[in-house]
Amino acid sequence: MSDFVFATAQYDSGDWDSAPMLPANVIDSIARYTSIDVAPTGVIVPLASPALFRYPLVSLTGHLPVRFSAAERDNLRAFAERGGLLFVDDHNHDIDGVFHKTATEELARVYGPLREIPNRHPLYRCFFTFDDGPPTTSHELNGWGDNLVHKTLSGAEHEGRLSLIYSSKDYSSEWNYHPDNKRFLSVDNTKFAVNLVVYALTR
Amino acid sequence: MPSRADWRRWAEWALRLLLVAVLAVALWRSVRASRPGATTVTARASTLSEALQQVTATSRVGALRVEVDGALSPVQRDWLVALRRAGVRVGWHGAPPSLAVAADRAREPVAAVRVRLASDSGGPIVLTDSVGVIDSVRAGGATIEASDIVGTVSARRGAFAAFAPAPARVPRRAVLVLGRAGWESRFVLAALGEAGWQVRARLPVTPGIAVVDASVLPMDTSRYDVVVALDSSASDLAPAIARFVAQGGGVIAAGSALNVGALRALVAARTGDRVPGRILLDGDTLTRGDLPLRPLVAASADAVVLERQPAGPAVAIRRAGRGRVAAVGYDESWRWRMQGGATGEAEHRAWWSRMAGLVAPEREPLTPLTPLDPTLRGDAAPRAALVSALGDASVSSDAGDRPASNRLPLVLLVLAAAALLAETASRRFRGAA
Repeated sequence: MSDFVFATAQYDSGDWDSAPMLPANVIDSIARYTSIDVAPTGVIVPLASPALFRYPLVSLTGHLPVRFSAAERDNLRAFAERGGLLFVDDHNHDIDGVFHKTATEELARVYGPLREIPNRHPLYRCFFTFDDGPPTTSHELNGWGDNLVHKTLSGAEHEGRLSLIYSSKDYSSEWNYHPDNKRFLSVDNTKFAVNLVVYALTR
Repeated sequence: MPSRADWRRWAEWALRLLLVAVLAVALWRSVRASRPGATTVTARASTLSEALQQVTATSRVGALRVEVDGALSPVQRDWLVALRRAGVRVGWHGAPPSLAVAADRAREPVAAVRVRLASDSGGPIVLTDSVGVIDSVRAGGATIEASDIVGTVSARRGAFAAFAPAPARVPRRAVLVLGRAGWESRFVLAALGEAGWQVRARLPVTPGIAVVDASVLPMDTSRYDVVVALDSSASDLAPAIARFVAQGGGVIAAGSALNVGALRALVAARTGDRVPGRILLDGDTLTRGDLPLRPLVAASADAVVLERQPAGPAVAIRRAGRGRVAAVGYDESWRWRMQGGATGEAEHRAWWSRMAGLVAPEREPLTPLTPLDPTLRGDAAPRAALVSALGDASVSSDAGDRPASNRLPLVLLVLAAAALLAETASRRFRGAA
């Protein structure tokens, strides 16, 4: 069986590498909580590259405006049709911010209109249970960004499965620290990342 | 010791007896010839139904000759056989085309109907079902797949046609997928689900915790058609899998599941060392042959290899109990779906669905196989059925009019005249009255 490899999307516009510690932290949580064979390091995969299809779960984040090239758009469309899952997180945590406005617009061009993911979705129960939906981040509670606590995630489906998960909760900031520092947390805030990966690998 | 005169008298008596016998035969033939059954009826395919009723209703007809210029129904053919067995001389002539059609459907939820056609050289053949035309093909052999076929498939050339009932769609039961959380499990689930199978799964994520659909167990043929074991995480269910196969269920074992000790008695083979797949360059797409492969080794004697790659056997199947077990040596088949270009996803889906169909048990359709239009019923291979029932055209058509039977009256006449002449001459020469 091949290892699970955490992949970060590289796109032509914007700052795709704004959360450099996130992959290591997610990989650490996968190894810590599950017996899933996970590669010890993540990879960076250009959205326009055929290599995208080697990694059926890809994470995308950033602060700056997003404009996909035609090749990136075509690749993402094929990626979704074949069963790939794209996780997009607004690193600004601001629905008035440029990332949110441009990214949602671009994603809607590829995936169609984004819809709210109900909080009873299997995504929130496939490993850890999150009764209230997506866990709140410290950045939401601190009033940064848009000063809102987003109750749900949004996304798009293909053949009854999520092909896109879009978050305004700023998990990129929440998970962007060295895994060794988890020991200072009373509650591990990366547990939802485990659900994200388990969902992608099982549904 | 008898004298020469005694011999002569005995010979005269023998000639008289011969004459009486010849006259008796001639009398019997004339009586038989005067019976009503001596007439011969000739019918064409279009008038055969009336002719059959006429021949059956009266005892005057002794022979029926059929000019096969159109399709005969099985009922008409069987009727001709019955008449022949009742003493009517039945023959046929004509040149019906050699035409055969068969239709089958894979044991998959949304499988297309596969129509196979064979014919001799001649004009084009039009394939229809009970609703309308499906396609037309040239003479020879052809296989056509159609997603929806209703009632009866017919292959027509001119006035002749072969018929085959379209197999009914059989509702399939669920597929249970057993495998660790990973891309292979996830995409096998996706492929089977998209192909119309109802899929349940148990995917361990960590010891003691698995992503499980509700009520996965018990594992029996009333709930499942197929169990897919993708790795050794199925080992704790090996006894249940063995019972399932013994009941008639189908199993697909892949990867490390093939090397689970408790399943070894069931599976067709074990896996050898992993052979890496082809290295892809930019722009390359991946085919099934490019996948990493664990070639099947130590195949059981009754295993049938279905797919072979340069590195070795890739898929084998065998019967076990009342069920079937397939062994799959491909590793990471999900890459075929994701990296297989524009067609990879559909091919991956169709392949896994076909694999499940190969091992799924036969089940009776809920409704009987009745064509919508009963008048369309006919033979799947009409000429072959006709020859099988009535014999070859040339033999059958001549059977009622053999030249030997026409010469019999002449032979009888010559024989009677010769006997009479000889007996009279003998008496005259010895001076008797």
